[in-house]
Amino acid sequence: MSDLIDELKIKILEALDLPDVTPEEITADSELVGGDLGLDSIDILEIVMMLEKEYGVRIDNRELGAQVLVSLKTLAAYVEANQAAPAQ
Amino acid sequence: MTGRAYIAATGLISPLGRGTALNGRALQDKLGGLRPLACFATPDGPSLPAGEILGTLDPSAPSRTHALARLAAGQILETHSRPPDAVVLGTTTGGLSRTEILLAQGVTDPADYRFHGVNTVAEDLARLSGCSGPVLTISTACSSGAVAIGLALEMIRRGQARRVLAGGVDCLCRLTYYGFRSLLLIDPLGARPLDRERKGMSVAEGAGLLLLTADPPAEPGCVLLGAGLSCDASHPTQPHPDGLGARKAMERALADAGLGPGEIDYINLHGTGTPDNDLAEAKAVHQLFGPSSPPASSVKGAWGHPLAAAGAMEAALATDCITAQRIPPTAGLLHPDPRLNLNSPSASRTVPVERILSNSFGFGGNNAALVVGITPGGAHVPAARDTALEILEWGCITGAGPTEATLAALRRGRSCSGQLPLKQVTAPLNPRSIRRLKRLPCLALALAAHICRNGAQPAPQAVCLGTGWGAMSETHSFLTRLFASDYAFPSPTDFIGSVHNAPAGQIAMHHGATGANITTSGGDYSFEQALMAADLTAAREPGPCLLLGADEAHPALTPLFDPSVSAQASLADGGGGLLVQAARVPRGEIIRPRFYRQADRPRETLEHLVQVLTEQAPLARQYGAVLAGIPAAEQDRGEAQTRIFRSLTRYGGPLISYRRFTGEFATAAAVAAVLAADLTRRGYVPAALAGGNRVALDGRGILILGLGAYVTAMEVVRR
Repeated sequence: MSDLIDELKIKILEALDLPDVTPEEITADSELVGGDLGLDSIDILEIVMMLEKEYGVRIDNRELGAQVLVSLKTLAAYVEANQAAPAQ
Repeated sequence: MTGRAYIAATGLISPLGRGTALNGRALQDKLGGLRPLACFATPDGPSLPAGEILGTLDPSAPSRTHALARLAAGQILETHSRPPDAVVLGTTTGGLSRTEILLAQGVTDPADYRFHGVNTVAEDLARLSGCSGPVLTISTACSSGAVAIGLALEMIRRGQARRVLAGGVDCLCRLTYYGFRSLLLIDPLGARPLDRERKGMSVAEGAGLLLLTADPPAEPGCVLLGAGLSCDASHPTQPHPDGLGARKAMERALADAGLGPGEIDYINLHGTGTPDNDLAEAKAVHQLFGPSSPPASSVKGAWGHPLAAAGAMEAALATDCITAQRIPPTAGLLHPDPRLNLNSPSASRTVPVERILSNSFGFGGNNAALVVGITPGGAHVPAARDTALEILEWGCITGAGPTEATLAALRRGRSCSGQLPLKQVTAPLNPRSIRRLKRLPCLALALAAHICRNGAQPAPQAVCLGTGWGAMSETHSFLTRLFASDYAFPSPTDFIGSVHNAPAGQIAMHHGATGANITTSGGDYSFEQALMAADLTAAREPGPCLLLGADEAHPALTPLFDPSVSAQASLADGGGGLLVQAARVPRGEIIRPRFYRQADRPRETLEHLVQVLTEQAPLARQYGAVLAGIPAAEQDRGEAQTRIFRSLTRYGGPLISYRRFTGEFATAAAVAAVLAADLTRRGYVPAALAGGNRVALDGRGILILGLGAYVTAMEVVRR
């Protein structure tokens, strides 16, 4: 689980091109949206696309997205439960 | 304040069929137009429901969008064949449905892309209808059609045209279908506006056109009473959560029509079916109309959302509502959302309907509302107030650098052609606020930052931005990623950024500009069109308007799309802008649009230009220099036009072909306008630029000509 969290952290930073955020600044419980990270609804959509591409995990509506993308911990749990193929 | 235009005829094509009355009946009968796509395959899985127009479209049309526009225009022209004085059309797709296929196939011949530009649709209608006057293209996402109709109304009020063909059109294409999919904004069951279970919209296509006239038509019909434009200035795609921008557009439309909320009988909602839109719009309606709001419904559960066409199609439909005295139900609505608390009929109602408010909102927080009513007795169109645009500040960016670097180079007669590195473009901007933006929005934001840099002038309220080609980097990136992933992974960020009005929306957000926000796109004349839009709307704003022109040169796409760039050895881009304010008694430098016509008959068009320009005084007494924009692809025609211009006016002063210095990009005219403002304030044209001898302006201004396929004129003079 913690490996997956670290991996998600890197992939999220890559997908969002955040110029002023380092992986160390995000903890498993950090608020993804509206917290110190300052992610917004468009970032969430990019993360949704990344999850589908990298993990085969599909989030097809905004309500589900809001439930899953609370923190890295909730996200990792969802990915683990719904992953189509093992992460590379 | 108010004045109206007659709606002499309408043209409408939707997924429910062709014709305004037919659509009125189909909506009354609760027919639905949403079904899986047939016009292109969806390799990523089963198609989501969409509003597609079935049947064969004109195979000779350059693209699906052109074909739909021709069908709607045909309905008007078959009974009203006299050419209109102007065409004003809203569209976001232009020739994109064809371009997508060509790019996917790797076609690299620029000739195949000549109908890519959004402006080519309006130009096609101008040819079809025999119009030689102004042809304006508005691209403000899903409000485009309504914004176009609002501008057409103002042209008639100002006496600039007596008959205008105005409306909107868009076709289904991969970029819009996959773009909205990537935003998770499509309801898998089809749009259910206002329903508590609604999950989003259905992407659709269609066309709506109005023939607006200053003179009453033979048969009394409906009139366009007013229009209101605003911008949320809050988010690139989501509506303001309290619907503040929507409310402002509706308020402005009512004020423009001279009506109070109690005089509206029916509201045709934007009502896309997305949870956010419908909630924000309902809040705006309640704020404005209070507890006794009139019946309101959305037709997008039946048509889907035809994007730029929506506002124009709904304006056409409004005439049917009034003529047939019926209000369409909201198709797809089964369980009204109690949080919206709207008075929405679930079945068609026959009620007295005399005045309708019709809403259209789009990306970039772009809002437009129109008011359509019955013809009152003895209606006439009074002339609007005469104002001129004072220039308060200016700025530009070219390969030579920002404002002063560019102007210094130009005054020395040196080229500033090139592409300023992005890092230098974005120097005045906060890195975090532009982290998702590519080149064009960065150019636009940097221009706005340079122009508003010292804060000495009031903040801009409105934005009018001309761009020949829009956000090329985002469009290219979106399509490349879409094709590479076999349609599985479209980029939401690129889709949001790909709309032509994204840069103007960003400016509004950064500068809190909640007034009209208009993006025009007319190829090499895009800045000239933005000036016309600013001239038509600025008097209604409480503060200044940022008037800009900007284009980015994209290494893959620009040489394919822009024929003037195809043969160039190197790329150039940039833009310019002016902070302008409407004034009845203007002081200092002012800018004014003076002429815009198709150059279909070379000598006659130039004679017409010269007649307009010399009505009050000989040319040489008004202008000390002429800046001429001759696009490379129009070199021969432009030079011939220059010779005719010289011979007709006997003008012997400097005529400076400015693209030699700015390089080839569609909105180079915006840099010319900034140069004209700078020189007019200085009072002379330096020798290096004037061709040998320094020319004192002696109180005279500078004329900026656009030559080639169109002949345009703008003036910068000092009062």
